[in-house]
Amino acid sequence: MTKFITAPATATTDEQANRWRKLVGAFFQGDRPYMIYVAFAVLLVIFSFASPWFLSVDNFLNIGRQTALVSIIAIGMTFVIIGRQIDLSVGSTLALSGMCAALAMEHVGNTWIIGAVVGLGTGALVGLINGLLTTRLAIPSFLVTLGTLSAARGLALMLTNTKPVIITDEAYFAVFGEARFLGVPVPIAWTLLAAAGGILLLHYSIYGRQVYAAGGNPTAANYSGVNVGRVTTIAFVLTGMLAGLAALVLSARSHAARPDVVQGMELDVIASVILGGCSLFGGRGFILGTLLGSLIIGTLNNGLVLIGVSSSLQLVIKGVIIVAAVAFTRR
Amino acid sequence: MPTSGTTSFPASSPAALIRVEGVTKSFGGVRALRGVDFELLPGEVHALLGENGAGKSTLIKILSGVQRHDGGSIEIAGRKVAFESSAKSREAGVAVVYQDLSLVESLSVGANLMLGREPRTRLGFIRKRQLMAEVGAFLTERGIPLDPRVSVASLPFAYRQMTEISKALIGNVRILILDEPTSALTGDEERILFDAIGRATRQGVGVIYVTHRLNEVFRISTRVTVFRDGLNAGTFATARTDMKQLVAAIVGPGHALAATGKAALEEQQAVAEPAAAETDQQAAQPALTLSGVTNDRLRGASLVLRKGEIHGLAGLVGSGRTEILQTIFGLRPVEAGTVSLDGVPAGELAPITAIGLGIALVPEDRHLQGLVLDHSIERNLTLPRLAFFSRWGWLRHGASVREARAAMGKLRVKAPGPTTIVKNLSGGNQQKVVFAKWNHPRPRVLLLDEPTVGVDVGAREEIYALIRAAAREGTGVLVVSSDLAELMLLCDGLSVVVDGRVVSTVARGDLATTEDLHHLIQTSQSPDELAA
Repeated sequence: MTKFITAPATATTDEQANRWRKLVGAFFQGDRPYMIYVAFAVLLVIFSFASPWFLSVDNFLNIGRQTALVSIIAIGMTFVIIGRQIDLSVGSTLALSGMCAALAMEHVGNTWIIGAVVGLGTGALVGLINGLLTTRLAIPSFLVTLGTLSAARGLALMLTNTKPVIITDEAYFAVFGEARFLGVPVPIAWTLLAAAGGILLLHYSIYGRQVYAAGGNPTAANYSGVNVGRVTTIAFVLTGMLAGLAALVLSARSHAARPDVVQGMELDVIASVILGGCSLFGGRGFILGTLLGSLIIGTLNNGLVLIGVSSSLQLVIKGVIIVAAVAFTRR
Repeated sequence: MPTSGTTSFPASSPAALIRVEGVTKSFGGVRALRGVDFELLPGEVHALLGENGAGKSTLIKILSGVQRHDGGSIEIAGRKVAFESSAKSREAGVAVVYQDLSLVESLSVGANLMLGREPRTRLGFIRKRQLMAEVGAFLTERGIPLDPRVSVASLPFAYRQMTEISKALIGNVRILILDEPTSALTGDEERILFDAIGRATRQGVGVIYVTHRLNEVFRISTRVTVFRDGLNAGTFATARTDMKQLVAAIVGPGHALAATGKAALEEQQAVAEPAAAETDQQAAQPALTLSGVTNDRLRGASLVLRKGEIHGLAGLVGSGRTEILQTIFGLRPVEAGTVSLDGVPAGELAPITAIGLGIALVPEDRHLQGLVLDHSIERNLTLPRLAFFSRWGWLRHGASVREARAAMGKLRVKAPGPTTIVKNLSGGNQQKVVFAKWNHPRPRVLLLDEPTVGVDVGAREEIYALIRAAAREGTGVLVVSSDLAELMLLCDGLSVVVDGRVVSTVARGDLATTEDLHHLIQTSQSPDELAA
């Protein structure tokens, strides 16, 4: 014991500090990264006192299920926003992916695998279009994805002339909606899986480093041999695919794909990412922050319902808290 | 009766415009100011000197309200202040003329001068004629040669600076801060600027003049204060000091240049000599060959760079020097001609393939092109060689940090550690980080674009040593520089670039002095101008 307490050489402390930093690195990457944890804790305490039902395992699983869609997509959006871009089309991409998956199962083959491949593929394709238009034609991604936001939604509605498509494959419901994996409801399991993949890719891979550099200073990244266009496009494809995954989770829960679902969802997704410590100017952010950002918004929704706040007032409170939280974490 | 405030030059005047005492400031572990004193009197031009990182810019930022000091006290006209914003500092009568000017280009000189203070009618419309008349009267009264009706966009740079200074003066500014105002000016423009400064001081305005150029100090200032490592290194009356004393104060004791500048120069040349001898042995082997390379900016550029050679590219700004480097690095397409490495044509180049072939570029603008300022040293260092510090696409974090630490040690980057944010480093240290990006593995061809711009004397010597060390190990180095003395000091061979082509190449030995190189550049221009 004493051996470690008596002043070790500077290099060793340095290395130890570095190992420690590496260990917690994934947790602390924002401007004032600890603030998001504090904010979440405060929220939990407030609602625990306000409602007797809030502090229960069932309720937390509930929050997890409710936030799954936003969380899954927000993980992809984290890459896009760190890369100094934005994707407004995620809600429409989700709707179109869900419709394509359900139609493929109806017409091509009624197994969950076909649904999964077509759903993820459609999302990836929309992401690829977003990415290529943004990088090759140098159109700001805000405008590109504003276009695909409209176009993808229109396509989803056109496919069946606005009618929902019923899904009948039991295995599909189980894999994406209703089963439990190691005791965890699958929507939550998919969220955790996506988060784990996101952490590995963003914080431990070359690609992650390149995303940070491309967003932090695209010119310097280019001068350092980073193919900024490709890095950016991959981020959009990733987000599209995750919107596809979210579509599978949603349609498995409701046993049908509907073309008019989750309108305006992109705002919740972007709010989660920004709340989680990402900079809209690129180069900064982390996956766990995003996940917590999404949980904070989900917890707010849940808690405000439990203490009986009217849905109109809920919207106002949510808006104020989001802006206040971002202002607070930014100082 | 005690001393009156009107005494012109007391030792410590109660009428000082600014009195700074023991001011400290740190940025994330980097101590930029460690307790500095500074005083500005009405009507004086007080030059502020020091290497990059000595603390000049930090003090300016504090005085202009961009940043706040940690300790010590600042008095402006006898009142203690701690500006929360640049607006507050402006209210107290302090104005900074930055290099990137704060004028609205699309508006006229008059509109810029009265921006936000325009005379209005009762309905809130601007009285344009009255505005122009007021500004015109002001400019005539001060003897400033500007036409209030002309749009700023059409003015040459020096006149824009003059507009900026006039804008400060019309707003009752008493303290004017000029941060390296002459770096983009020609000789004539410089005279115009100095004239404007002289007019301002005669009205009782105090001017803080930050610069790297010592000869300006003697031309314009009344007093000089030198900072070194965040501390005062001395304040001198300009009339009673000389170049030698100032240089000694800037670089500090124990520095080679402080002893005698000339001896140090000779020593460097002695070091350069054996390097040149070694290159002779490899003389047959070209590291890089350009033959007839043509694209949007180059018109058949041809060049041979040998292994271990330091080759300079001289020429006027806009001659295509930078574009040659960019083309070799794959930032510009090659439309005709070939770029060969070790005699093998390189094919189509992009930065990533160029790096793969062992080509490295230290670009002209380190903030824009060289660094991600918000990221750590380690992240910046390993960015171009990520594949080298990874396995199957996964980053080997330990290897990356080890390399960062090693490179920081080798290049003597002054920072607490690899996780220090690059933004918090001084200019010289930032430039070392850009160099360190190419530390390992050693590049075959090193392209340097203005490698020591905005780098202080000490760090400059260290960078020269690095360049020579790289050449000794067999790297071919191609240097673009506007500093002819630098080219003469560093290079084994020199080429002059005119209009996207290499028009003449000489060995270093063929030129005796910097004037010869200057002459060569000038004579290289003339035939083209006659043809055009």
